[in-house]
Amino acid sequence: MSLIGATFGALKSSGEGAYIPYVCCGDRGTEFTVKLVRTLAKAGADIVELGLPFSDPLADGPTIQAAMVRALSSGFTTQSLFDTISRIRDDGIGKPIVVMTYYNPVVRMGVDAFCEKLSKVGGDAVLTVDLPIEESRQLDDAAGDNGLDVIRLVAPTTSDARAREIMGQATGFVYAVSISGVTGAKDTLPDTAVSLLGRLSRISSVPVALGFGISNQGQVRDAISAGASGVVEGSALINMYSQSSQDEESVLDLIEKHSRGIKSATRFISDEETQKERL
Amino acid sequence: MTADGYFGRFGGFYVPEVLVFALKELQAGYRRFSQDSDFKDDLHNLLCTYAGRPTPLYFAKRLTDVVGGASIYLKREDLAHTGSHKINNALGQALLAKRMGKSRVIAETGAGQHGVATATACALLGLDCEVYMGETDVERQKLNCYRMNLLGAKVNVVRSGSRTLKDSINEAMRDYASTSDHTHYLIGSVVGPHPYPTMVRDFQSVIGAEAKEQTLAQTGRLPDALVACVGGGSNSIGLFHPFAEDKEVQMFGAEAAGEGIETGRHSASVVAGREGVLHGSRTLILQDDDGQISETASVAAGLDYPAVGPEHAFLSGIGRAKYSAVTDREAVSAFHQLSEAEGIIPALESAHAMHLATIVARDLGSEKALVVCLSGRGDKDVDQIARLEGML
Repeated sequence: MSLIGATFGALKSSGEGAYIPYVCCGDRGTEFTVKLVRTLAKAGADIVELGLPFSDPLADGPTIQAAMVRALSSGFTTQSLFDTISRIRDDGIGKPIVVMTYYNPVVRMGVDAFCEKLSKVGGDAVLTVDLPIEESRQLDDAAGDNGLDVIRLVAPTTSDARAREIMGQATGFVYAVSISGVTGAKDTLPDTAVSLLGRLSRISSVPVALGFGISNQGQVRDAISAGASGVVEGSALINMYSQSSQDEESVLDLIEKHSRGIKSATRFISDEETQKERL
Repeated sequence: MTADGYFGRFGGFYVPEVLVFALKELQAGYRRFSQDSDFKDDLHNLLCTYAGRPTPLYFAKRLTDVVGGASIYLKREDLAHTGSHKINNALGQALLAKRMGKSRVIAETGAGQHGVATATACALLGLDCEVYMGETDVERQKLNCYRMNLLGAKVNVVRSGSRTLKDSINEAMRDYASTSDHTHYLIGSVVGPHPYPTMVRDFQSVIGAEAKEQTLAQTGRLPDALVACVGGGSNSIGLFHPFAEDKEVQMFGAEAAGEGIETGRHSASVVAGREGVLHGSRTLILQDDDGQISETASVAAGLDYPAVGPEHAFLSGIGRAKYSAVTDREAVSAFHQLSEAEGIIPALESAHAMHLATIVARDLGSEKALVVCLSGRGDKDVDQIARLEGML
């Protein structure tokens, strides 16, 4: 079983959901990326999603777009991503790393070469936002050859039949998109997310992580009780450092505190069960 | 082409999962209505009574004499309603959107011609219309912006990325991801995921179908060559496609060399691009070694796009069509040449085709004939040219 599979297995037996923060690699420099990942790991992140910036991120809202622009304009390259992952591993952080990107940077490097390199530096999975199951065979093969999981997306508009097909091919976990739209922090969990999680849990037992719009503990508890095995938080974290005028140390402290809170909300299942037991 | 929207290895369906449902619905809708005789009759009727089709095929005798070579025929898409070939596709897709029960249409636009055509079709059919236009393009095409407003459309100024056509497509896709239940995304070129490259080509093929009939009627034979400009490549594919099986007819595409290929400030994706995936298609793209999309340049806003329709990548690969790049300077010179020789002011996009046509005409020599797609009229560019030449 992959490290990601084992992570979800262990969380399930301890009655927790996975906390999966998204970090835009190279935003504020790769030095900051490493520090941020270290902070998040310390705060209890179970898996890290590391974004490889792309110039034309059409599934992302303004927050992640701006982060990608900042990273790319400071000279970030695909090699910088691999170097950053190496440094994270050298730092002794062993959490599974999912690289989230768009397909073109992968195609440019060569799908096989990309997967080989990612595996070599210690990455665990790849998620290409604009690669639906119809087009993903080449990546599936290359990822499989290199022991990487391919994380697939499902959306509120994905039919049951299609969701069954996607989940049937799933490795690691499936990423459920909470809304029909783009990434960006929101305050509450939309109804579309709750009904999607319900549908997916009836279709398959593959772990499902919910993302797009996650920013607070209330949403996390709602997601977990609606059947999610984990949550992905991206834009909200980026907002915390990009909109702050505080020094780096204070910002990282704030992020750590916030992320501990999010992580604690993923323990809602066990809390709920404990409460039931008490009653 | 295969059923999956592939042209050889180009094309395909590279989209986020949030767009899959809407695009499959569109594929099914297009499959259904493209074979529906009522739909085809309605569209044909609109093209004839509203859009001014068929557009003339005009023998440019004075230009032919000046150039000295093959006879140059102009397919006068500039005389279509709204001033360019864009109306052919806009009417087709707007009619389709209406049949599919959509109440709102969104579009991207570069030069503004597609935005104006879409706003026009929406006004005609009673559909809400919003057009995404890059801030850079809004500045150089102010008049088209105002025209869209006059037609009742809302123009959303795009300030992300390079603020040109590619960024407008990104924004329109983001809008579509959250609104596709009631919105149709009316893409203006033969780019994007399946079914767009096929559907837009089919709606634009009226250009080539008419040109074929008209050349036969006027000269008694097929032309020896076809010439058209290529940004995303809709007017060119529209002209080329009906001649695909006529192997004796050569095809030439004029891309934008901007300030020169060697300067890196151009938009010539077939000539200088590399294979990749952008906006839903595998095609030829101007990009760096890491697969980041390059910023492009051209005096013609409508050609200022870092990729090309996948069918052009395919036609280039198999050698069926030849692509070369025309600089800003050459295009501006052709703009003047046609204005003076024939009393026709071409769009700057079409001026790229006019320049290439003069070269092809000389190469072919007299006794031969070629058809150039004069894709749009140049009124929108007069202000820009006047400023460029210090007249304003």
